[in-house]
Amino acid sequence: MLNAIGFTMVDVTEHFDCFAGTSKEGTARKYGVFGVNVHARKP
Amino acid sequence: MALACPVDLDTLVLRKEIQSIYARVAADPSGDFHFHRGAAYAADRLGYDAGALASLPLENTSSFAGIANPHRIAPLSGGATVVDIGCGAGMDLLLAARAVGPSGRAIGIDMTEAMADKARAGARALGFDHVEVRIGDALDLPVESNSVDFVLSNGVLNLTPDKQRAFSEVFRVLKPGGQFLYGDIVVARELSESTRRNIDLWTG
Repeated sequence: MLNAIGFTMVDVTEHFDCFAGTSKEGTARKYGVFGVNVHARKP
Repeated sequence: MALACPVDLDTLVLRKEIQSIYARVAADPSGDFHFHRGAAYAADRLGYDAGALASLPLENTSSFAGIANPHRIAPLSGGATVVDIGCGAGMDLLLAARAVGPSGRAIGIDMTEAMADKARAGARALGFDHVEVRIGDALDLPVESNSVDFVLSNGVLNLTPDKQRAFSEVFRVLKPGGQFLYGDIVVARELSESTRRNIDLWTG
């Protein structure tokens, strides 16, 4: 989607297990939910 | 990465629910929530600099509820203009303000008044005159086109029902060559229609 809008150099730079230890950890595991850092540039 | 939203999702209910949850986080960050908050979480799980967080007012760090760390993506250059979409209580915003320095500008956008008030108070406490917090929505950013060097956002745009419009707004406000430092949650699996319509799952 970011590329389609016009961004370039789109890159997922890092992942985070941000729901570990919360009451929603099980839901996050069930649906494969995690945090990411994404870098993109406007040309 | 699943980004589509069912067209019949009640977005007004979603918006009110989001505002309600984050107003509670602003008022009582130690309350019972389904997500982590605070500086210790940010340092231990997201890799924030604990010393930098300790130098910020507790009021601004205790309500932090981000899920990634945009500051690790790329350095913010001195004198730059940065916009933080969904700045909340201001932790990321104040770190960005420190990075760009007094010759730069740090503009926070949030739709929750209680959070915006906390961010403004933090900026005042730190003497950051180059910080401004505006009430607004990610789908209609109150920011001039082609005016910003960096847009950062942390755990906010996943809550918007129209991701394409939100990303288009980021693209609009960035200058050519500007950078989007984006932290958010993603869903690795395809979701059923009933799951996509479940407001409780959108907000928690």
